Amino acid sequence: MRYQRVFVPALVLWFLVMVPVGTASAQGEEVPRGPTFAARALQALIDGIQFGVIIAITAVGLSLIFGTIHLINFAHGELVTIGATFAFFLNASAAGPGWHLIPAAIVAVAFGALLGAAIDLGLWRPLRARGTGLINMFIVTIGLSLLLRHIVLVLYGTRPGSFVQYDIQNALDLGPAGITPRDLTVTLLSVAVLLGVAALLQKTRIGTAIRAVSANRDLAEASGIDVQRVVLVVWIIGGGLAALGGVFFGLVEIVTWDMGFKLLLLMFAGVILGGLGSAYGAMVGSLVIGIVAQMSTLWFPADLQYAWALLALIIVLLVRPQGILGQRERIG
Amino acid sequence: MPENGEGPVLVADTIVAGYVPGADVLRGCSIEVRPGELVGVIGPNGAGKSTLAKAVFGLLRIREGTVRLHGEEVTNRPAHEMVRRGVGYVPQLQNVFPELTVEENLRMGMYLRPKAYAERSAAVEELFPVLAARRKQKAGSMSGGERQMLAMARALMMEPQVLLLDEPSAGLSPLFQDQVFARVKEINGAGVAVLMVEQNARRCLQICARGYVLDQGRNAHTGAGTDLLHDEKVIELYLGTLARVR
Repeated sequence: MRYQRVFVPALVLWFLVMVPVGTASAQGEEVPRGPTFAARALQALIDGIQFGVIIAITAVGLSLIFGTIHLINFAHGELVTIGATFAFFLNASAAGPGWHLIPAAIVAVAFGALLGAAIDLGLWRPLRARGTGLINMFIVTIGLSLLLRHIVLVLYGTRPGSFVQYDIQNALDLGPAGITPRDLTVTLLSVAVLLGVAALLQKTRIGTAIRAVSANRDLAEASGIDVQRVVLVVWIIGGGLAALGGVFFGLVEIVTWDMGFKLLLLMFAGVILGGLGSAYGAMVGSLVIGIVAQMSTLWFPADLQYAWALLALIIVLLVRPQGILGQRERIG
Repeated sequence: MPENGEGPVLVADTIVAGYVPGADVLRGCSIEVRPGELVGVIGPNGAGKSTLAKAVFGLLRIREGTVRLHGEEVTNRPAHEMVRRGVGYVPQLQNVFPELTVEENLRMGMYLRPKAYAERSAAVEELFPVLAARRKQKAGSMSGGERQMLAMARALMMEPQVLLLDEPSAGLSPLFQDQVFARVKEINGAGVAVLMVEQNARRCLQICARGYVLDQGRNAHTGAGTDLLHDEKVIELYLGTLARVR
C-alpha cells in the first residue's frame, strides 16, 4: 500500500496543475481581464479560512460528543440550524421582537446550549441507562434530525433569510484580496472561540475531566469524576457552539431551514479528517475542509466545492488512516 | 492485620449482575471484607471475578442483591460516589491514562480533592519510589509493571479504606508479579482493606487472609487463604495437581 502515499497525492497535484492550463489554452489568446490567479487564490484562501473556522466551531461539539459517549450525532446539523433560525426570529422575523443581532445571537447560543442539555437529559441519558447500543442510538439521532429539521421547516418556512444588521458591506481592501468587516469579525471571533475551547479543555478542571472521560470512561469514574455530569457539560458546550456556528454561517451566507443538514457532511469530514474524537483534530480538519472547498473554486465550478472537500478527506485517509491529529491504534 | 471487632467494611450480598439483558454473569455470590483485611477472589475464567469487582464498585448495574459500605447500603451508587465514600478501584486493563504524564495521572486520582495533591503524592511516592523519578514521563511509555504501580498509586491518592484490585498481576512477568504482590501486601499493611481479584490463584492465596473461590457466578468455596491452598477440592479444580506436591 506504500505506493498510495506517493501516487494518490501526485495524481491530485497533476490534476490541479493541468486543468487550469487546459482551460486557459482552450480560451485562446483572449485572456479575460480581471484579478490575477494569485489574487484569486489569496481571496479563496481567506474565504476558505473563514468557512473552515465556522465549520470548526460546529464540529468541535460533534467531536467532543463522539469522544465522550462514542455517539455519532446525526442531529448535530439541526442544532446549527436552530441556532441560526432562532437568532433570525429574534432579529429579523416579522413575528419576533426585532432585537439587534448581538443580543439575539447571545440568546440563540444560550438556547442552543439549553437544547443540548435538554436532549441529553431527556433522551440520551435514559437511553444510556437502559444500555441501548450505539447503532440503535445512531438511528435515533437520524430520527431526531428529521424531526427537528421538519419542526424548523414548519416554524421557519422555506424562504431563505438574512439578519437585519451587517447585511451588505463594502470589503476592506487588503491589496490583491478583500474581506468585509463583517466577515473579518466573524473569522476573528471564531478563532477566539476555538482558542477559548482549547483553553477550557487544557486549563480547567472540567476540561481535564472531559479529556479524561474521552480517554477512558471507567478510569475517569474510578478517579471520582461524575461522568454523566461531564457528558451533560459536553452537550451544553456542543449545543451552544453549534448555535453560534449557525449564527455565524447565517451571517456570512444565508439562513435556511436545512443549512445545518447541508453543513453536517462537512462537519463529519472535518472531525474524521482531523482524527476521530480529538477536539483539536476537529478544528484542524475543519479548517482544511473549508480551505479545500473554497480553493477548489479556482479551478472547478462552485457547485462541486463540497465534493472536492470530501475528496480531500478520502485522500488524507488513504495516506494517514488515523486522521491528521489522530492516534494510531494497535489492532489485534 | 488482626480483626478488631468492628463490623465488615464492605459486604456484597447475593449479587446478581450481567452485561447483556437476560444473561447473568453473577448468580448470587456474596463477599465480605473486614477492616484492614486482605481478601482474595479466585476462580476459573468466566467465573465472574472481574464482574464482581465492577458491580461492587458501581460500574455495572446490580440486578439483585445489596452492597453495603460500613453498614450503609450503596447498591448501584455511581462509581464516582464510591470513590468519595472511600473505595478505590484499579481496573485490570487500561488502568492508566496513557497520554498523561505520571504526575497528571496522580492528579487525576485527586480529582475530588485537588488541594491535597502535594501531601498525598508525597505519601504515595514513598510507597512507589519508581514514580517519583518519572513524574514527567508519559504513562503510555512505561512498562506493564510500572503502569500497574502507577494505577495502584492513582487509586491510593484518595486514601481509600477499601481498595478493589482487578487482576493486578495480569500480563506481567513473574518478576513483576512478585513486585506487585509485595506492594499489595505493603498497602494492606498500611491499614487499607484490599479485595483482590486474581487469576494467579496460588500467589494470591499465599498472601491473602481469606479467599473466595467463585465458579459460574456463585461462591464455590470460602476460607482462610492458606486453608484454601491445601483444600483438596480447590487444588483439584483451580490450582492444578502440581499444587499437591508443594
